[in-house]
Amino acid sequence: MSGSEVISRLKRDYIYNLMLKGEREDGRQFNELRDIALETGIIDKAEGSAMVQYGDTQVMVGVKMQVGTPFPDSPTEGVIITNMELNPIASPDFEAGPPREKAIEMARIVDRGIRESGAIDINKLCITEGEEVWMVFIDVHVLNNSGNILDAASLGAIAALMTTTVPSEREGKGEDYPMPVREMPVGISLVKIGDEMVLDPTYGEESVCETRITISSNQDGSICSMQKSGSGSLTPAQVVKASKIAKEKGEIIREKYLLEI
Amino acid sequence: MSDKPERFIDDEGLRLDGRRVDEIRPMKVEMGVLSRADGSCYLEWGNNKVLAAVYGPRELHPRRMQKPNEVLVRYKYNMASFSVEDRIRPGPSRRSTEISKVSGEAFEPVVMTQYYPGAVIDVFAEVLQADAGTRTAAINAATLALADAGIPMKGLVSACAVGKVDGQLVLDLNKPEDNYGQADLPVAMTQDGEITLLQMDGHLTPEELEEGLEMVKKGCQQILEIQREVLVSRYGNEDEEGEEAEEESPEEVPEPEEEEEERDNSFDNEESEAENSDENDVTEEDEGEEDERQ
Amino acid sequence: MKRKIVYPGLMLSENEKQAGTGTYVQDGKVYSLFYGVANDKNRVTVVPFSGKYIPSPRDYVIGYVIEVTSSNWIFDIGSPYDGLLHVSEYPKRVDSSMMRKEIGIGDCAILRIKDVNTSMKVELSMKDRGLRRLDEGRIIDVSTTKVPRIIGHNGSMVSMLKKESNCDIFIGQNGRIWLKGKDEDINRLTQAIEIIENKSHTSGLTNHISAFLRYEESDEIEEKEKPVPFTSSKKDYTEDACRKVDMLLSDEDES
Repeated sequence: MSGSEVISRLKRDYIYNLMLKGEREDGRQFNELRDIALETGIIDKAEGSAMVQYGDTQVMVGVKMQVGTPFPDSPTEGVIITNMELNPIASPDFEAGPPREKAIEMARIVDRGIRESGAIDINKLCITEGEEVWMVFIDVHVLNNSGNILDAASLGAIAALMTTTVPSEREGKGEDYPMPVREMPVGISLVKIGDEMVLDPTYGEESVCETRITISSNQDGSICSMQKSGSGSLTPAQVVKASKIAKEKGEIIREKYLLEI
Repeated sequence: MSDKPERFIDDEGLRLDGRRVDEIRPMKVEMGVLSRADGSCYLEWGNNKVLAAVYGPRELHPRRMQKPNEVLVRYKYNMASFSVEDRIRPGPSRRSTEISKVSGEAFEPVVMTQYYPGAVIDVFAEVLQADAGTRTAAINAATLALADAGIPMKGLVSACAVGKVDGQLVLDLNKPEDNYGQADLPVAMTQDGEITLLQMDGHLTPEELEEGLEMVKKGCQQILEIQREVLVSRYGNEDEEGEEAEEESPEEVPEPEEEEEERDNSFDNEESEAENSDENDVTEEDEGEEDERQ
Repeated sequence: MKRKIVYPGLMLSENEKQAGTGTYVQDGKVYSLFYGVANDKNRVTVVPFSGKYIPSPRDYVIGYVIEVTSSNWIFDIGSPYDGLLHVSEYPKRVDSSMMRKEIGIGDCAILRIKDVNTSMKVELSMKDRGLRRLDEGRIIDVSTTKVPRIIGHNGSMVSMLKKESNCDIFIGQNGRIWLKGKDEDINRLTQAIEIIENKSHTSGLTNHISAFLRYEESDEIEEKEKPVPFTSSKKDYTEDACRKVDMLLSDEDES
């Protein structure tokens, strides 16, 4: 079964032994990010869009908006719906079919980062109280999985939202206006290999790690969402250390890629 | 939604986007853009943006889907939710399922399926932005992705659509022409002019059909030329260096026919000497086998 | 000897007797099957730029176990087809219950392909000398089309690599290469193999690599370019192509 989940023992040992020496397969430090590229506004048909690359990982995020009804308990708030598909185009290990637990978890992690940070002022997405609000669909389309699609998706989501125009004219609801974005959350993932926490994992590192932790932080440094994923465990000290790294790297990414938008 | 234009072709014979009736939209292409796929191609045609990737040949599960003497060519056409003005719900639709079927069938006559019995070649075509003619754009990209993946084929497949607006046949319909025109005929062809995909919506007289097929053949030839240019220009440098290298020391580069002798040389020298004689006896047999496989 | 870039369907020769590997014959003419490089020594052959390993009897391959059944180990050999190693082809007698202890899931080994039948059922053997489980070292992947170049004419390249790098090397026909030695030596050797892959068509390569391994020469291993989204603008092919086709068509009309 080529494309199976089995990793060769030698490969596993190699990555593990490198880690013991403080090294990684691609020569990076444990705390080093790959080269990141970000381009927005690439899909005209979408209200907002972004193409993100972390090394060879490529993710495209599109934002589409529709008029819809608000939830009964929040009559003046717009609705955010985040969707992520792990389509087989992106990896020999992804299978066709509706999203399964991994894809659903990832979509919800990206969603949580956007929602809990208050990045979108959803009260400004109200058309008629109790009747009509804007639905914001954030669709993450993974194109090539070379590891850490989660962080690429998170960055793509906020970048796409920051460049989204609310299409009021098209729907006959007044004038177009820019998406009301008031925060810039950045998601950072680390995986645990042995006793070390490693930033921005490649897919090789992901396949030998036991645990992943993803942390989203805001511009003011506060943490707005976290998720531990995978079968291993983390000590409280590791969680605290990870959150510090997440804040530090989040700032770097925000400054370099988001503030320019 | 855009309103229907009064006229599609003006007095000078120019269409809404300034093209003549037999002109195709501008095309931009880049190959090898996805690292995990065995072959890939990104293609822009007008405002269409499509990405094609090939995985294979690879193992096919479940077993009951395996064809005993051939490889299965499996084509999946998918539109991204954000690729059109009205968001598409993720997942296959009846339309995308149909397009997947006929597009895969467009390649079956040219892929040398007997090379990989029981295996599967997966072709994925993702439409990132749609602007009329996505299925033909996808096929054009998929052809290059298949070549990039090293799949043996008799030739390249090119696709284009012809349609009718204002009673006039036009090549490579744009969005308004597709929405409001009188006919839409997407076609895929091999380089010999054999049609491997053909669909039609609308009304055409038999004469218009014949003329339309002539027109779309020219369109496909133009696209074939683009595909050839992309393939050849990608490795331009290697060709030149190769020619120089030959003159200097021809014995450096092992010839494919001599591969058989070298197979055992990965062992320590003492071992390989013992085995070399076996291999030399075997060489002629192996060459024979190879010929049969053609 | 002429070498050129070819693609599927490109005509290579009007003489069907010249058809070599990587080509097919139709109406007495020879065409390329692959996107790759064509050579025309005595026969016209095409070597593809990329392709999967297709198992062939007598090949040596490097694989790893993905499943263990009651009488077989199933190996991933980097091919669309998995290989089966039956207990009887293992160098010593093993009880069914002890199979996983001998070689378990994830373990790597050097094997030889015993037979491939028409349904592509691949039978492996571990009985020949030198075939064994691999417990240490590193395995790297190279394109199967480059394997002959890395072995070299009569093993010239691989012998030099072993000597100059101080490493054990085994090259599987399936594009997997096993290396064993000190970390720095393996790293240098891995770089050397990468250079061979990229420069396989150049001459004087054996000497260049030899010097590289002795640290007498360096190689500008291309700095990995910063990623640029492929959605950024690219070359527009349409005008040139359409002009070419128009010219071709008008030539046809005239002739």
